[in-house]
Amino acid sequence: MSIIKLFVNLMFIIYYTKMNKIILRSLLFLGLLSHAQSPLPSIELKTLSGQFIKTDDIASNNKLMIVSLWATWCVPCKNELDAVAEVYEDWIEETNVKYFAISIDDSRTSKRIKPMIDGKDWEFEILLDENSELKRSFGVSTVPFTVIVKDGLVVYKHTGYTPGYEDELYEELLKFSE
Amino acid sequence: MLTCFVFAQEETKETSIFKHFKNNLSASYESNTQWYLNDSKFGDFEEEEHLRSTNFLRLDYSISNQFSAGIQLESYAPENLLNNSKLYDKDLGVATYYLRYATKKLDITLGYFYEQFGSGLILRAWEDRALGVNTAIRGARLIYYPSNSIKITTLYGKQRKGFEVSDGDIFGVDAEIDLSKTLGILSSNSLVLGLSYVGKNESYTKADETNTTDIPELVNAVSARLDYTHQNFYTNIEYIQKSQDLRLNNIIPNIVTFSENETFKGSAISWTAGYSQKGFGVNYNFRRLENMRWFSERAQSNANNNPTNQLSVNYLPALSKQHDYTLANIYLYQSQPGLFIESYETPLIKAGEIGQFIDVFYNIKKGSFLGGKYGTKINLNMSYWASLASDFSDPTGIPYFVSDNLTYETEFINFKNKLYTDLNLEVRKKWSKRLKSIFTFINLYYNKSILESKIDNNSVRAWIGVADGTYKFGKGKSLRLELQHLSTNDDARNWMGGTVEYFFNSKFGLYVNDSYNYEDSKIDQDTKIHFFNIGGSYTKGASRFSINYGRQRGGLLCVGGICRPVSQNTGVTINFTTAF
Repeated sequence: MSIIKLFVNLMFIIYYTKMNKIILRSLLFLGLLSHAQSPLPSIELKTLSGQFIKTDDIASNNKLMIVSLWATWCVPCKNELDAVAEVYEDWIEETNVKYFAISIDDSRTSKRIKPMIDGKDWEFEILLDENSELKRSFGVSTVPFTVIVKDGLVVYKHTGYTPGYEDELYEELLKFSE
Repeated sequence: MLTCFVFAQEETKETSIFKHFKNNLSASYESNTQWYLNDSKFGDFEEEEHLRSTNFLRLDYSISNQFSAGIQLESYAPENLLNNSKLYDKDLGVATYYLRYATKKLDITLGYFYEQFGSGLILRAWEDRALGVNTAIRGARLIYYPSNSIKITTLYGKQRKGFEVSDGDIFGVDAEIDLSKTLGILSSNSLVLGLSYVGKNESYTKADETNTTDIPELVNAVSARLDYTHQNFYTNIEYIQKSQDLRLNNIIPNIVTFSENETFKGSAISWTAGYSQKGFGVNYNFRRLENMRWFSERAQSNANNNPTNQLSVNYLPALSKQHDYTLANIYLYQSQPGLFIESYETPLIKAGEIGQFIDVFYNIKKGSFLGGKYGTKINLNMSYWASLASDFSDPTGIPYFVSDNLTYETEFINFKNKLYTDLNLEVRKKWSKRLKSIFTFINLYYNKSILESKIDNNSVRAWIGVADGTYKFGKGKSLRLELQHLSTNDDARNWMGGTVEYFFNSKFGLYVNDSYNYEDSKIDQDTKIHFFNIGGSYTKGASRFSINYGRQRGGLLCVGGICRPVSQNTGVTINFTTAF
């Protein structure tokens, strides 16, 4: 019974809150826009030594890259990076990709990044998005979030990590490396 | 034939306009719905609205290479989720909007913007939807790059307050200078200097008109910071000084009054040093905060009325390890940055905190005895936090906890008033291509009487052990099993917990999770209740849908470095996020 009640209640909230009416319409409309190849947002990031660097400059210097948002406190993120770290050399060899692991750690945990990546022996390019500007412009609320960028355009997006997902990511990557 | 051709051409033109539009628009939507249920153990849910939903729609459009604009709509229907701020109170409203002009040299934003100077100790306007925090500033921001090694940011505005803005104004200037580029130091070195000023102006009407104390309406803060990296070694230091400001007079919990006879300065210092090389890293951090809580509206400094830290000008998170496991999140340190004098019930005085933490990462090499075939990753982390050693006094001789003339002095370095210590050991081990595990051991001390302002003198010593294993079956199928135990003779005594999570493929997974406080104790709100949760998630591309049913523990909930008291509840939670 309670399941039916839950269902009825959910239908209620979906249909009768003002916001959701608008949202549903917008979503229907935006659904048409999926697979959009929008440019990588122009955001300023930081290097581990505190120097600023712009996403536009990174994109113009790298033909094919993966940009992955992560944090030191996010277990699935670390699992993803650990998993990719094991096959990264092969990926570079096959596709010439460059992997940018962009941390959204803020001052609470950002000091742990440098020793952590060295301790873990990761070979990725690590950059900081300390106030989540890039995360916000991707419109994501949770990490990990992974995108493939080709010639400055975001061609593939994915949220979350489940064990083994790295194989799917590689399949996608192969589509975009000529 | 000809008409057909013309028609086809028009269609292509239309398609390309549409394509241009969609390629320049990005949108994201997030919805969090909770349905609170009555519970046989906790009793009935007492608030009126059982079903609540919060929704965020964000649109960003790049008009041209230089111009972009965006808007965020938010909906809290019929009201905000339990334990979140009541300031967010509209069924549907425009929350933020901006227009931005950006070139290589210049970056101008009008409308709402987010910003952080340095590590955020002096200024941070940010958003965290999970915490229900949004302190965006509405006004104008100008960033100018005179060269590729200098960045100057100036800003003015009022902070977001729900769907309105603060009474107080915020001004800020920040300069960041990459000295290694400017001075041409070797490339293995890096030296970055940062200087900031932040001012907050807010009118004040004295409660006592005869009082002659000079009460500043403009509170100024200045800071300097330096980041230095030399090959494998790095260090960072940041110092902030905040000018005289009123202190809150906590006589009755929810009534906001200020003590008008004395004003107080604030300061913060943070120092980090570390060394890292392949396979080994160590990091040390020291931080001291004195009277650093700062809000764009003075009245918001009352923690009873504003437990979620809305309208906070700066960011003062707790520096201790952030945990992922449920039982490791019961006794968590929360930072004590403010001058706090509580005069009701048992008097309590705090002026700030001092403490340190150290992190060591070590990768035992593949092929060695302990490393095995795949290597073993070890992380050791320790932290120690104390409240500032302070002498409070009153020249007129009135007992300190009722006096408006109270002043105090602190010692710069003194760690004697211990609030929290912990030692964490994490070992990550991969056994085969399919099986890997994480073992976690935590030993902690938690001074509950001061950290939670509890009357009875009570502190907690506990140890926690977690074993977490994941087995991959291939094709995205995997099983995760996690077992936890918390042992203590204090507070609510022993807990055990566990999680089973199964992914049918890389898109769809289910989990069950339980925490159970299995011993009798004085803390009856948790005793012998299963905090059981079951849920699942479905992910496709950049969209994710998840549902959870279960019981949430009441008490102090800490997420992302922010802790706040929450009431226990039972219910169904549904989240949906998507981005285009």
